[in-house]
Amino acid sequence: MAFKMKKFSVAAGVLSASLLITACSSGNTSGENKSGGESKGDKVVVDIFQGKVEIADQLKALTDEYTKQNPDVTFNIETVGGGADGAAALKAKFASNNAPDIFTNGGDQEAQIWKDKFEDLSDQPWVKDAFEGTLDGMTIDGKVYGMPLNMEGYGFAYNKALFEKAGVKELPTTYSELEDAAKKLKAAGITPFSIGYAEWWVLANHGLNLPFAYQEDPDKFIASLNDGSGKIEGNEQFDAFFKLLDLTMKYGNSNPLTTDYNTQVTLFATGEAAMIQQGNWIQPMIDKITPDMEVGFIPMPLTDDPAQSDKLMVDVPSNWVVHNAAPDADKEAAKDFLNWMVTSEEGKTAMTKEFKYIPAFKSIEATADDIGPLGADLLKYSNEGKTYQWQFMKYPDGAGQEFGAALQSYIAGKSSKEEAMKAMDSTWAKLKK
Amino acid sequence: MENKYTGRTFIVEIIAILIGLVFLVPFYYVISNSLKTFADILTNTSALPSVLQWQNYVQAFERLDYLRVFTNSLIITVGSNVVLIIFCSMAAYMLVRTKKKISNIIFMTFVAAMVIPFQSIMIPLIKTAGNLGLLNSMWGLVIMYLGFGSGMTIFLYHGFIKGIPVELEEAAIIDGCSPFGVFWRIVFPLLKPITVTVMILNSLWIWNDYLLPSLVLQDPALRTIPLATFFFFGQYTKQWELALAGLVLSIIPLVIFFFSMQKHIIKGITSGSIK
Amino acid sequence: MSNHSKLEKVNSAAFQNQPNVNASRSVPFMKSKKVKKAGLFALFVGPAFLAFAMIVLIPFFTGVYYAFTDWNGVTGNVSWVGLDNFKYLFTEDKQFQQSFMLTIKYTAVAIILTNIVGFGLALLISQMLKTRNILRTVFFLPNLIGGLLLGFIWQFIFIKGFESIGKLTGISLFQLPWLGDEQTAFWGIVIVSVWQGAGYIMLIYLAALQNVPQDIVEAAKIDGASRFQVLRHITMPMVAPAVTICLFLTISSSFKIFDVNLSLTNGGPFKSTEMLALNIYTEAFVNNRYGIGEAKALIFFLVVAAITVIQVSITKKKEVES
Repeated sequence: MAFKMKKFSVAAGVLSASLLITACSSGNTSGENKSGGESKGDKVVVDIFQGKVEIADQLKALTDEYTKQNPDVTFNIETVGGGADGAAALKAKFASNNAPDIFTNGGDQEAQIWKDKFEDLSDQPWVKDAFEGTLDGMTIDGKVYGMPLNMEGYGFAYNKALFEKAGVKELPTTYSELEDAAKKLKAAGITPFSIGYAEWWVLANHGLNLPFAYQEDPDKFIASLNDGSGKIEGNEQFDAFFKLLDLTMKYGNSNPLTTDYNTQVTLFATGEAAMIQQGNWIQPMIDKITPDMEVGFIPMPLTDDPAQSDKLMVDVPSNWVVHNAAPDADKEAAKDFLNWMVTSEEGKTAMTKEFKYIPAFKSIEATADDIGPLGADLLKYSNEGKTYQWQFMKYPDGAGQEFGAALQSYIAGKSSKEEAMKAMDSTWAKLKK
Repeated sequence: MENKYTGRTFIVEIIAILIGLVFLVPFYYVISNSLKTFADILTNTSALPSVLQWQNYVQAFERLDYLRVFTNSLIITVGSNVVLIIFCSMAAYMLVRTKKKISNIIFMTFVAAMVIPFQSIMIPLIKTAGNLGLLNSMWGLVIMYLGFGSGMTIFLYHGFIKGIPVELEEAAIIDGCSPFGVFWRIVFPLLKPITVTVMILNSLWIWNDYLLPSLVLQDPALRTIPLATFFFFGQYTKQWELALAGLVLSIIPLVIFFFSMQKHIIKGITSGSIK
Repeated sequence: MSNHSKLEKVNSAAFQNQPNVNASRSVPFMKSKKVKKAGLFALFVGPAFLAFAMIVLIPFFTGVYYAFTDWNGVTGNVSWVGLDNFKYLFTEDKQFQQSFMLTIKYTAVAIILTNIVGFGLALLISQMLKTRNILRTVFFLPNLIGGLLLGFIWQFIFIKGFESIGKLTGISLFQLPWLGDEQTAFWGIVIVSVWQGAGYIMLIYLAALQNVPQDIVEAAKIDGASRFQVLRHITMPMVAPAVTICLFLTISSSFKIFDVNLSLTNGGPFKSTEMLALNIYTEAFVNNRYGIGEAKALIFFLVVAAITVIQVSITKKKEVES
């Protein structure tokens, strides 16, 4: 026994000694001093964490421009894209005390999770310039915590040439009109809808958003789901949504459950299908497959009342936020940079011409040349006030995927409409906070 | 070895080649599509490219900053291999030769930990790594690969070392060789075949790893090939033509490495068995 | 106390000697043979174990702690909830139970197929084929592509490639909605992982097959043994240690399957192919219920560890017997 004890203590001693050595040597060699938002003297390094690889180069160029005008402020941009979920990487950064100064947040439910980390931005100059409703997702208890990156929107994108060919003269704005248009298209030998129901988010976020948005007061409805007084099952708008879903399946391409996003957009962009439930983000892909294709948006109607049905779903997908525990100098620089981004000429130009974003600010002007025909249609609907907000941002965490599963199961014929709605009700009850 | 090339061997060869072709189907897709335009990839996925788009490679090479990311990947992969081979062969050797309970416990701990899913420890790992100053440096990443790879590497060495007769070492000790001398001069050379195997297996995994470097390396200058490749994948638009060209560029070094290494596996094994 | 000072000496000696491995012969301090032995043990095993402890063990036990909390992965509020998370998993979370069963089913199928195909390939390659060097590389090639990209590429093949082949040949197998049906999507994952894993396993079997002494095989043949008898009574027992290794490697990699699962099907359709690692990841990072995610990971770990330990000890016993 004594022998064993000795052996253990020797081993432990060696281990702890080498622990010290490792810790010291790694401390010397790592390039730690660059990140972590430390500031030396007047120099400030602002760490930015963002998840859109599409704008990584443009954002870098914009920060370089800012540094040119403010030589004391430099940037360290980290972009996590593609394969993995940016949220996991961001959580890891916060856990390791390596939090960025500026990061992004989707708002609503996601803001609730992260709100401890947000700096109050209510006093920022850009707040007054934001379009109505664009700050809602990041407003908690009357305080604004995030600056919208841009606006995105969706509906049914349609192919103008195919509509003309099938003799659809009036653009459909109600459910019945849409059904007529689909019939005409089919009669002309054109697939009316390109449906990509392999993607859960097409169904559960964008699709299922409709019945939530159509509720008289969506927030009240969501509150009633949370306290158990309301139900999805039997709700009139949800019934109407299933009717629309059936319509797209009846008049859509075959094998919707194997049609992923790529395939879905390709069907539309090659002119095989006339309509697609997607947003302005498909514009770059269309441009690559069929340049100069004539496209536009029509609404996704649940009812026959145009005042209710002739609306697109437009909202802010992501917001810039500032970390409240960052050093003061970093926070000041971060806020100033964000403000500069949407108020300076350089920033405004980059927003529309480089990022190709639909601005969320009245002070920034965008033309169809910059944002493409789909973006222009969105802006038109938005300016006329004919929009619904993205209620799916208010789902409990993870509910989207489960709603998607319930709807896919319905599409596969594995469950009935009632069963699908019941499944969604129980998902909500399970995942609500 | 059977030395005659008979009719039966010929038939086996034909079957083997057919199976080989089936194995190559996905590579047909990777290579042929890496030479198409984006539109062609999506509309004529299975066809051969109509016009070879070599500029995909030029563009991918530039956009990836290939030479830099290649160097980073190389440093990390080689560095991790070196520390894994040195420390794990030593550890496995001592664990085999020390016939004590503690050896067994330590060995089983290494083995059991191989089944821990990475996703379940990544947050605490990054936290620990942050405290130890291992973040944002290639050196830190190498230490992490030592930690993650030690389980399998020790497992493989352990199995191999058990088959080496202890008499050789005893003779060397009588000749006055120190324990280190015995290990490095007598035992380690005998481990060559398994060392080559370990090297290949670890290289593949480390070269292609995405998740861990994405959490550890923040500085764009430290980016590895997989990190850079994922920059072709946007939230909605995946630039397949560049991603596939980038993929081919990233596996070419591995193919060369494997092709040159496989001879050593065979040689090492045959020479090992003679002794 | 004397122990302590001795210990320091051992330490300093150990670290002075680390760069030059041959110098340890001249260490004068080590009087006791036992201490010397223990020091050597620590010196050989220490560095690997230390890195392993820092990188795997400490985070793992931290994770175990979170399994008993309601942490969401972000905020500073972590409160202890005892066994609530586990109760929830066993009583309410049907998806977890389903994922668990699916992962076991997948692991069983993948282990059997990967090992059979891998061993078969190794047997093929060990023949005197003219093309064996090339074929060895070909069979191994799938390993050169990382998991996430691999899934994306196979997605292309299942969605686009199969469609073209189906149109061309009319074979109904290729016209199925592969990734859109729960049965075929499951087999899709199996196909991809066997395609990738077989070459890896082949390499290890190949190394073992090279060790089968040819003189014994020849002698057996002269004695009139059939090819199958040679395989069954000479080759198989000789490669038994490789079987242990390969079984273990396939078990642990199959249980942990994540990349291909995420990029090929992402659990779909309707979450029917969501295996455990993905289920854990979703719980922790999408549902923002880190504590429950860690509880799942802990249960998962205990089960898999038990299975692999049993497997290793059973096959080890067999090795000894044969």
